[in-house]
Amino acid sequence: MKRIISALNTQSEEFKANYAHNKKNAEILKAKQEKARFERPQRDLDRLAKQNKMLVRDRLKRLLDPGTPFLELSTLAAGEAYGGEAPGSGCVTGIGIVAGREVMINAGDGSVKGGAWYPLTIKKVIRALDIAIENRLPVIHLCDSAGGFLPLQAEFFADKYYAGRIFRNQCVLSKMGVQQVSVVLGHCTAGGAYVPGLSDYNVIVRGTGAIFLAGPPLVKAATGEEVTVDELGGCDMHTTTSGTADYPASSEEEALAICRDIVGQFKTPNKARIEWQEPEDPYYDPDELYGVLPKDIKQQFDMREVIARIVDGSRFHEYQPKFGTSLICGYAHLWGYKIGILANNGVLFNDSSLKAAHFIQLCNQNRTPIVFLQNITGFMVGKAYEERGITKDGAKMLMAMTGCEVPKFTVMCHGSFGAGNYGMSGRAFDSRFLFTWPQHEISVMGAEQAANTLAEVKVRQLARAGETLTPEQIEEIRQPVVEEFKRKSSAYWSTSEIWDDGILDPVDTRNALGISISAALNTEIKDPSYGVFRL
Amino acid sequence: MIDTSKWPFDTVLVANRGEIAARILRTVKLLGLKSVVVYHRADLNTPAIALADVAVEITGDTPVAAYLDANQILAAAKETGAGAIHPGYGFLSENAGFCQAVTDAGIAFVGPTPEQIDLMGDKVRARAFVEKEGFPVAPSAIEDDDPATFLERAKALPLPLLIKPAAGGGGKGMRVVRDADQLEGEIERARSEGQRYFGDGRLYVEKFIENPRHIEVQVLGDSHGNVVHLFERECSVQRRFQKIVEETPSPALDDKMRTEICETAAGIARSAGYRNAGTVEFIFGESDGNAEFYFLETNTRLQVEHPVTEEITGKDLVAEQLRIAAGEPLGYTQEEITSQGHAIEFRIYAEDAAAGFTPTTGPILKWKVPTGEGVRMDAGIVEGAAVTAAFDPMLAKLVIRGANRDEARTRADAALRDLVLLGCKTNTAFLRRLLNHPAFIAGDVHTGFLDANPDIAAEPELPESQIHKLLAAAALSNRPIRDVTDLTPDLHAAIGEWQN
Amino acid sequence: MAELGGNVKVKHGFKLNETEYDVGLSRAKNGYRLHVDGQTIPVNLIAGQEGDQILTTGSSVDHITLAVDGDDVYIHLDGESYHLQFEHSLQRLAEMSEGSAADSVKSTMPGSLVSLNVVEGDQVVTGQTILVMESMKMETTIVAPRDGVVETLHVAVGQTFDKDAVLVTLVPEEGEEK
Repeated sequence: MKRIISALNTQSEEFKANYAHNKKNAEILKAKQEKARFERPQRDLDRLAKQNKMLVRDRLKRLLDPGTPFLELSTLAAGEAYGGEAPGSGCVTGIGIVAGREVMINAGDGSVKGGAWYPLTIKKVIRALDIAIENRLPVIHLCDSAGGFLPLQAEFFADKYYAGRIFRNQCVLSKMGVQQVSVVLGHCTAGGAYVPGLSDYNVIVRGTGAIFLAGPPLVKAATGEEVTVDELGGCDMHTTTSGTADYPASSEEEALAICRDIVGQFKTPNKARIEWQEPEDPYYDPDELYGVLPKDIKQQFDMREVIARIVDGSRFHEYQPKFGTSLICGYAHLWGYKIGILANNGVLFNDSSLKAAHFIQLCNQNRTPIVFLQNITGFMVGKAYEERGITKDGAKMLMAMTGCEVPKFTVMCHGSFGAGNYGMSGRAFDSRFLFTWPQHEISVMGAEQAANTLAEVKVRQLARAGETLTPEQIEEIRQPVVEEFKRKSSAYWSTSEIWDDGILDPVDTRNALGISISAALNTEIKDPSYGVFRL
Repeated sequence: MIDTSKWPFDTVLVANRGEIAARILRTVKLLGLKSVVVYHRADLNTPAIALADVAVEITGDTPVAAYLDANQILAAAKETGAGAIHPGYGFLSENAGFCQAVTDAGIAFVGPTPEQIDLMGDKVRARAFVEKEGFPVAPSAIEDDDPATFLERAKALPLPLLIKPAAGGGGKGMRVVRDADQLEGEIERARSEGQRYFGDGRLYVEKFIENPRHIEVQVLGDSHGNVVHLFERECSVQRRFQKIVEETPSPALDDKMRTEICETAAGIARSAGYRNAGTVEFIFGESDGNAEFYFLETNTRLQVEHPVTEEITGKDLVAEQLRIAAGEPLGYTQEEITSQGHAIEFRIYAEDAAAGFTPTTGPILKWKVPTGEGVRMDAGIVEGAAVTAAFDPMLAKLVIRGANRDEARTRADAALRDLVLLGCKTNTAFLRRLLNHPAFIAGDVHTGFLDANPDIAAEPELPESQIHKLLAAAALSNRPIRDVTDLTPDLHAAIGEWQN
Repeated sequence: MAELGGNVKVKHGFKLNETEYDVGLSRAKNGYRLHVDGQTIPVNLIAGQEGDQILTTGSSVDHITLAVDGDDVYIHLDGESYHLQFEHSLQRLAEMSEGSAADSVKSTMPGSLVSLNVVEGDQVVTGQTILVMESMKMETTIVAPRDGVVETLHVAVGQTFDKDAVLVTLVPEEGEEK
């Protein structure tokens, strides 16, 4: 496996301009994350302090093993929703190490509307539990939620992927033999009560923790019974009388320590074995990634420069280097793990689609997880390509990619437009993890293209009525479309809607992928099998 | 090589425990004699039991009581055919009754005669004897001489004065008087203390020497009237009136004074017709710029600190004791005994120096003895045993020899550094602070030295870096911590603290 | 995650010379990291010669002798011996919360009191027998769940009681920290 020879001129004006641009994008990301994590109205902070409750970030610090990484998921979920009322969508999810074990954390954030569940909170929790199911990760629930955010109940209660899915996923995990611990640090009311109810081990804090289907006011309204929180669902009642919770704790710290000790009892995972060698830092500094990405989303760049700054020793075994060159395929090691990489270097043509289908099958045969590095504007269109069967060649790529038994990971580095998003294992195709970069854009087509298409439609409608539009009038139609498109195709919109598992600072990609691959190996890799390839 | 074939005994019973029992047994074995040791069950796992050919269990209400039970020890001697009993130090070593009983049983007592113990064991009698023989004693007033005039005679002495109980020892009940007006009151207090501690209110008063040194002389006398000295030992560094560090030669003596004090000691022993190894103790100080020394007491047994004398004279004092007990003449003259180099002994105590030298206990989890040129370790413990409150907290003695005092000191520091006892706190760190103290380096010490320099006993604050090292070692060797930490997957371990 | 300051009892602790230290340990690529006082220090301990161990702390290397006896660790470092006591995080936290958790001793089954081994005001230590009860024709010994003072005895010899009946209430010893 030879080293990629970088063609990047780090002294060039272009590099410097790109670097400054992308570095600033990364800083904006960090600032948004910082704000989502820590910026809260003073009254909420005061309320928590008065209740003797820790902030969720402090709880995590105490829960996670010191000196270990935490891969936080969807840090900016709901960032563009609810008028910014629910930073991080009011919960923290991520993969961390507790008592030496990889676990999924699902922690309610009591400093956001008392931990109320918004529709996107529920989506984020379901996604975390889906990840736990797909990767057999034990789950630690830090429960501190006021319950569902009632004004939006129509958007989170009834549908298949709404709140019920959380409990369904918990049951599935349990059936799979994947263990769950709930630490009840606040109230678990109504549906929320089932989170500990469906967990294997429950710790509850005396005084602040409570579990009940209905709180005292609702009970009074329903039956006239007057009862205190502690009597109804407090620590001592549940640990001595109902048996709903298992371990009483007299403080949050003790509860978290007990949780750590419980996780210490879990059996250690039997991981899938894949090719591995001693990890090596990339030869080219990952920091140079900032200089690789062009400022303009439409501008092409050589994805090998990205690969060189992510993989071990910047070494890459390129498959079919002279065939279907708009898609780079090949093997590398990342944090020691052998991976196959598919990276876009242009539009997907017939040959590049066939190359992808072939390479994906190779990876499945030799049990090599696949990383998709997206910068894709779509499959090639036009008569010549349709005649050559671009649709059925693209279908082969989709069939191979969807049929993958090896875990897939997707990073949307730049553009992700049209069916290319699908072919490169977009959200719908069950990549174990999907991350984006700050400048990334995603939509069915480019914003300008879409605006033109819509303006065109309008012009033709009016023409049939015998009317014509001035260029100014056309621009008036175009501009709002462009703006709306741009907003909703931005990485921040995408991540707000949880179309991904979070935006990464490009330099964090290597670690994020390493942790993701490690998590994915908690499941066995089955023998290859596919649907029918249209030949 | 000493020929023991004509000796009246071929088996020696050691009536002691700990380091001294082991020390004696080593020589007994070296001489080709059979060895017996008595032991209490609490001492089962000690070097002496391992060394002895035969070990006889003795019992008692307390472990100490067993070693004080003359009848059991005599029975053990008879049962094992021991022809000699070596009492070591402490316990029955200066008990005239035991000495008599041993002798009466036809067994050689490795020590003086009962009469000599009687004479020298009583401080007041010994002092009177020494004074009568014309040797220097501190100006004093002895109550027993004439109780009616005791106070008057005491008042006539030059201040400051020291009041001591006649039956005392170990510093208990002693009082210093610097003001003549307080003498009477202090006498009354000392009397009631003496009564309380020793059941004997008799007192004596003597001139108090400021910042005195404790200097003692090793003597050997045979049953043929030959007496020699083996030079002095300085034992001024004491805590709670017990010696901690002893050395020879004394840095306080010039040749002239050395000869004078050693010959005085030999003279005293000679006048008493002394048999056995013995120690004549002096108090040494300066008064008006003149060095002076006074007889303090005689110890009619092997001393704890005897090894320093062995190290500079090349004599095995236990072997000499056995030869004398076997009736052999010394066989050498004073001129034939020479002193070479310098030796220092450090007593390794199970104690917390910073907490007022209070005894400590604990398991002996690791016990590593330093080695090297000039390093000798007389130890009474083994790894795997435990230090309990049943016995004296002295565990071992580190004896260091060097060409001169500086070399001995340097070697001592290295040896103390290498000495490892884990599981029970000892005074080794304190000993290192002591031996590196400027006053000790200068040899400028006295019996009140440690009281005057409490900083030596105090534990210095640990620097942060040292604390971190200890915490690191502790965490890394802790099962609950390691068991969990070691489960961290390689990848996460390599990434370390990180968050996206 | 960022290192924590202050007294974080979720972590394990070691007591050295009467001072408690919060200690975290993590694995590194080669060796370990010690997390203490807000600092992260690379450390390692490997076997040396003659039962000694080689301790690396940051850039310094020391040959140490070490012995572990239960929760006691004895370390000979730089010519001096030290004693550290391990304090499990759960133990530390339980100690903090004592006085609320195990204030009362309850019966685990219905039964009758056979004998009382304490009187009100007695100091008891963890594990000390407080009373003997009989249930299902078997005698069961009830012991003190923690150190404390017997405040109230709620039953008399011969008296019968139900499951979960409070038999004895304990209060912390005078001057004991809560």
